[in-house]
Amino acid sequence: MNSNFTPSAAAPVARLIEAFNRLPGVGPKSAQRLTYYMIRMPREEAEALAEAVISVKDRIVLCSRCLNITEEPVCHVCTNERRDRTRICVVEEPLDVFAIERTRAYDGLYHVLHGAISPVNGIGAEQLKIRELLDRLRDESVKELILATNPNLEGEATSMYLQRLIAPLGIKMTRLARGLSSGADLEYADEMTLVNALEGRSEVMIDGETPAG
Amino acid sequence: MTSSRPRLFSTEAVVLRHSDLGEADRLLWLLTPQRGILRATARGARKPGSKLGGHLDLLCHVRLSMREGRELHSVSQADTVDAFRGVRTDIGRLSRGLYMAEIAQRVSVEDAPAPAVFRLLVNSLGWLAATESPDTLVRWFALRLLTITGFKPELGACAECGDTLEPDDHVFSAERGGLLCPACRSQGADLLHPASLGTIKVLRHLARSDYPEVASLKIGGEERRQIERILRAHTNAVIDRGVRSAAFLDEIRDWPDVGPVPGGLRSES
Ligand SMILES: [Zn+2]
Ligand SMILES: [Zn+2]
Repeated sequence: MNSNFTPSAAAPVARLIEAFNRLPGVGPKSAQRLTYYMIRMPREEAEALAEAVISVKDRIVLCSRCLNITEEPVCHVCTNERRDRTRICVVEEPLDVFAIERTRAYDGLYHVLHGAISPVNGIGAEQLKIRELLDRLRDESVKELILATNPNLEGEATSMYLQRLIAPLGIKMTRLARGLSSGADLEYADEMTLVNALEGRSEVMIDGETPAG
Repeated sequence: MTSSRPRLFSTEAVVLRHSDLGEADRLLWLLTPQRGILRATARGARKPGSKLGGHLDLLCHVRLSMREGRELHSVSQADTVDAFRGVRTDIGRLSRGLYMAEIAQRVSVEDAPAPAVFRLLVNSLGWLAATESPDTLVRWFALRLLTITGFKPELGACAECGDTLEPDDHVFSAERGGLLCPACRSQGADLLHPASLGTIKVLRHLARSDYPEVASLKIGGEERRQIERILRAHTNAVIDRGVRSAAFLDEIRDWPDVGPVPGGLRSES
């Protein structure tokens, strides 16, 4: 139990502080700050916030195909006839779908695993939406699977695990190119990033066009 | 309130565990030679392009500059000494590396010198990246780690009465911490693991040798199974609630290798 907040605070205040404190990334200090901000908030704003929280709980479900969060039984990406149904991009979290969608550079489908394999934290493959992915690969006419897990050890472990699991199905698998991020200084890059950037290097075209894969 | 400026120190470390903290920070469990396990925050480490992030992944051997805190220190600079690339690009080696790191973490304590454990882990991760016999390495590592942290299983004499063991088949009790003589075997209701003469010889050899000397040791199938059961039981007796990453290691172990998938998101046409 966290006892960092003022023990003399009125019960509803203490309850809200505690509720905030349970959120990811919110420490006791931030929980207090948010709570005191809300005490001063106009009633309509507080109601709108409460309503937004409740409607997320009531209306948001997981898409029955890609498991992204959505308001419909099947999300707008999965129902969109113009999307390329032969490609599935596998990501760890719904936020990763938003990030890729923002680029408008991808027109295939997604599959959200809802996490990555993390043996040290006791999270294994069976806690991720991998069975659902295998079902899709059997039913749908998928030709390419893009493994877009995070470029860290747990993301890589998840990708390698999927590679082994899916290889017998004979579906082509690719991974996002990993390398230097734009704006980063070469001298600060770690060994793995540099090695990956070297391996994923592309030809320099005189007219500035990128070579086709 | 103290007016002194926060103390800075530098250390080598291996990242044993991490979790997300705040918007883009990372909380790290580090194994260091001088101060054992340290917990530290790395600001902005999850942002792409972070100067820290890429160095602070799991199982990285790093050199760090840190600002001393009361319980949590904070990393101000990080440089990779070795990322053990051969470990992180092969799921079989990776699963073993995580297992070794977890048991190293769980037998170590916060803020107490652990130079031998640190060196053992760094050397073993280095060997793991290239060895032909990763399972022998994990067994040797577990035995050596438990020995240097004071949990050495008794392999020389009977763990119960101290009598010399005849060169013969015996049994191992994790509860009583070692091999048992025929007389002590029946005293007690603990789980007994068979330990053939061959198994006992290999265990003693592993316990007194350095890894390079045992790397090419040929161990028969039955001995391998017995040694695995004995060392797992002993490790689990020392580590409360068992080793979490053991399940992943077991799941991966017998999968065939399919080779890497080509990198790069490219269109076919
Ligand atoms: Zn969907
Ligand atoms: Zn005895």
